[in-house]
Amino acid sequence: MSGLILDGVSAAYRDTTVLHEVDLTVARGELLVVLGPSGAGKSTVLRVVAGLEPVTAGRVLIAGRDVTDLRPGLRNVSMVFQSYALFPHLSVAENIAFGLEVRDTPRREARQRAHAAAETVGCAGLLDRRPGQLSGGERQRVALARALVREPDVFLLDEPLSNLDLSLRAEMRSELRALHDRIGATMVHVTHDQTEALVLADRIAVLRDGRVEQVGTPDEIWRTPASSFVARFVGSPAMNLLPADGVLRPTGDAPALPDEPLELGFRPEAVTLDAVDGAPATVDRVEVIGEDAYAYLTLATGHPVVARVPAARRPDRAAAVRVAVRWADAHLFHPATGHRFVP
Amino acid sequence: MKRKALLALALCATLAVTGCGSGSGSATSTPVKLLVFGAPEELAAYRTLIEAYQDARPGERVQLIEASDRRDLLARLATSVAGGAPPDVFLMNYRFYGQFAAKGVVESLDERIAGSSLLDPADYYPVAMEAFKWDGAQLCLPQNVSSLAVYYNRTLFTKYGVPEPQAGWSWNDLVGTATLMTRDDRGLVIKGTEAEGAARLPAVHGLGVEPSIIRLAPLVWSNGGEIVDDPQRPTRLALDSPAAREALRNLVDLRLAYGVVPTDAEVEAEDDESRFLNGRLAMLMTSRRATTNFRTITDFEWDVAPLPIYRQPVGVLHSDAYCMTTGSKNKDAAWRFMEYAMDAEGQRIIAATGRTVPSHIEVSRSSAFLDPNQPPRNSQVFLDAIPTVRALPTVSTWPEIEDLSYGILENAMHRGDKLDDVIRELDTKSRPMFARGENG
Amino acid sequence: MTRPDTRSRRQLALMLAPYLVGLVGLVLLPALVTLALAFTEYDLLRPPSWAGLDNFVGLTEDPIFRVALLNSVVFALVAVPLRVLLALGLALLLHRRAVGVGTARTTVLLPTAVPEIAYGLLWLWLFNPLYGPINQLLRIGGEHGLTVLGRTPPQWLTDPTSARAGIILMSLFTMGETFVVLLAARRALPRDVYELAAIEDATGWDVFRRVTLPLMAPVLALLAVRDAIASLHFTFVPAFVVTDGGPPPYSTTYLSLFVYQTGFEYLRYGYAAAATLVMMVLTLAAVLVQWRLIRRYRGRYLS
Repeated sequence: MSGLILDGVSAAYRDTTVLHEVDLTVARGELLVVLGPSGAGKSTVLRVVAGLEPVTAGRVLIAGRDVTDLRPGLRNVSMVFQSYALFPHLSVAENIAFGLEVRDTPRREARQRAHAAAETVGCAGLLDRRPGQLSGGERQRVALARALVREPDVFLLDEPLSNLDLSLRAEMRSELRALHDRIGATMVHVTHDQTEALVLADRIAVLRDGRVEQVGTPDEIWRTPASSFVARFVGSPAMNLLPADGVLRPTGDAPALPDEPLELGFRPEAVTLDAVDGAPATVDRVEVIGEDAYAYLTLATGHPVVARVPAARRPDRAAAVRVAVRWADAHLFHPATGHRFVP
Repeated sequence: MKRKALLALALCATLAVTGCGSGSGSATSTPVKLLVFGAPEELAAYRTLIEAYQDARPGERVQLIEASDRRDLLARLATSVAGGAPPDVFLMNYRFYGQFAAKGVVESLDERIAGSSLLDPADYYPVAMEAFKWDGAQLCLPQNVSSLAVYYNRTLFTKYGVPEPQAGWSWNDLVGTATLMTRDDRGLVIKGTEAEGAARLPAVHGLGVEPSIIRLAPLVWSNGGEIVDDPQRPTRLALDSPAAREALRNLVDLRLAYGVVPTDAEVEAEDDESRFLNGRLAMLMTSRRATTNFRTITDFEWDVAPLPIYRQPVGVLHSDAYCMTTGSKNKDAAWRFMEYAMDAEGQRIIAATGRTVPSHIEVSRSSAFLDPNQPPRNSQVFLDAIPTVRALPTVSTWPEIEDLSYGILENAMHRGDKLDDVIRELDTKSRPMFARGENG
Repeated sequence: MTRPDTRSRRQLALMLAPYLVGLVGLVLLPALVTLALAFTEYDLLRPPSWAGLDNFVGLTEDPIFRVALLNSVVFALVAVPLRVLLALGLALLLHRRAVGVGTARTTVLLPTAVPEIAYGLLWLWLFNPLYGPINQLLRIGGEHGLTVLGRTPPQWLTDPTSARAGIILMSLFTMGETFVVLLAARRALPRDVYELAAIEDATGWDVFRRVTLPLMAPVLALLAVRDAIASLHFTFVPAFVVTDGGPPPYSTTYLSLFVYQTGFEYLRYGYAAAATLVMMVLTLAAVLVQWRLIRRYRGRYLS
């Protein structure tokens, strides 16, 4: 049974359509990450599920219930906002218990459950503080505890890690994943950070301009991107895209190519620079990041290519190299539609 | 050095704004500043007077400073005196000039009167001249000498066949007439004492009279009573004599027992003067001041009758006078204007507006005042009253006492406060005010 | 101290100078003079003479002053909360975008823009017991000048309670400024907090009690302080123009009118100055109490 279904959902902001017939299915207990650049409509997906925005078409089902026309309070969802939306005038305990108290849970019970939720996310020591006295990470935990306290059908997390600094983000990322594994709840997590998506997700839905570009496991998204957009959005530096008509001829067994122009894509780590029969290129600049180095090249045909090489074997700037890539590491896309070409 | 200059500039600005700077300028070019208040018609009368003066005496200039009402005039006068830049001449009722007279703000005119070739004190009604003497000195020159009269709507009287008020009528005649003239919208006599929400309310009220000490005083006097314990050196409002009490009782009964005067709500909705103008008031007890306003009436005929009498005819003095401030820097020019305004010509100009009963005896008997073509036909009533008018005390705290008594008397008439309480309250509350006051 | 710092300080001083000169010359000096005059007998006409505490002793024995003081305190206690609540209600009603909201906001603001005297005269007409629109409206459906319930409509200008209520009513409609501040404060509150409340199914009352009110409380408290100070001032014109301090004897004589009358009509300037001093001390006390409450609130909630 599904935890959450979006069935042909469209949504509009004023006169602009921001979601176009989005279909999404999240299995019960699954963590789906909605990934996309800003303006792709990621947050709108969450807001439509929560009932904060109306749909213009389609249906929303939560735990098998059609909630399309229900007000937010009746949908049994929890949401963690990007800003955390903590009440500055309430203590941490009161913040966590807010949802219970407005639903008339007895005070004692509400406090106990708030305490339990706080323990789950490791902020039990902060219960008497006020949001103004907390660090970013602590606030994030409180917001999570508040979402947890009510045992909703779906958790909605709107870029909850984006306000944290890098190291804290990595730490919270794995905690979030561990938390999900522990409680086994249905979660929809929105982010624009592809690393976060790859690390956290059971499945990823890539969104572009209000349309679902691809839904799949992190592995599928990484290995078989459904479009050149997904291919370039996931991975850093982005996948190289070149015309497939002989600018760079991959090695190995070539697939059967049709008689139409295609785009050839390959990730920087698939590139070798010292192939004997590789395409000639010059090194424009080299960035060293610890053990790795990224070499930015220009092929003799003028096309740019990025290559990832071990830092110890990085080329010098302005050096002439010979670029090669294997068919096994290459992806083909239709240049007009961006769709993946499957031979 | 720059800083010092800035400081000086700032100080100058401050001084200029707070009005501490002393005005200067040569006497010839400075106009005489005349401070008055009044309705638009009255202000127009003063403008006419000033224009006539400036035409008659080339080179003389008078600037009219208009206050919106009496309170505003008092405030302006006091603050301008305190600020060191008072008007040269102001016009004020004798009831309110006491506080300025007592405090040396008003210049004594005795020497100037004695030296004047134009002014002879004997030309003026002595009762008015007397009202503006303070410690024996003539401080101001009375512009007019009015008294209370009963204005009545002749057309209404004819319509209902009720005899018009006659000279020598009594208080009972007044009550009877007022009762007969209180009518509902069908023209039937109605008693206006019914509670609010009665089936029929008066469409015409018999009489309008405000419950104030200046209206009450002549009635008390006429009945042989006094309103203060000692008219020369008053220390309290004393309405506890049987005669005063009876007059007060009768006044409040106009509302409480007979219902011939409008209720307080009706007065708030439409004041007596407007009510008379609109033909909904048969009689109105007021001074000459109302005449200018009533001359605009075209829908009906109206006239005046003397006050009703208890035992002897007595009126109450209404009089405004030109006063010169001691702080004036333009006294000679101010005096020349006062002379003009007071002599026959000036008096005629003001009299022609209908606003005043001239204090100049000769002018008051001339057609300037008794013009048969202008209502009221019976203006002689005002002149006949002059020999019997009395003045109210000129104690310096009189404005306070009048405000105090007005509130108490209004509640007596409209709320029906017990007469004993009213008299006691007037007595006890006025004592400290009289005690603070100074007498001329 | 570094050079640019000195320069910016000097610039600051220069820009502040006109205001400071005005403040000192037009406000502080007259206020100090008034304070000094409170201890003198002064009638504006003759030089003041030292009176020590006589004026204050006089005030304690003055029944009119006592009534005026009581009237002012009652007015502040009733009108200030009502004004702030009305402004809050309207701000919460009109903070969203919707059809007609702009017009409604303008309407709320409009009475504040009317000059005070004109505003007073307008109400004099509105309050007219027989011909005024308010009572005409109240009499609809009733007979013989009564309301439909068979009661006499309020005698705005002749009944003491109605007159006091009338003055408060007049002051309510000039809360446009308070309204604007609250509107801005409400619009500045974070949207997601309200969305969270919606997701948690908080009722409108819960949202108001647990979210809006506490978040706006500091602004509300400041506005209440401001209104309490101003209330002494905005009783003046209504009492002066509309009721003239009455109905008798002193139903709507507030401190401001008392000070004006004794100072400028009865020429007891020193005495009026003493009353002003009492008024200032009382205001200061009220402000201090409110200030302490705000600080306690801040300490509790917003550290």
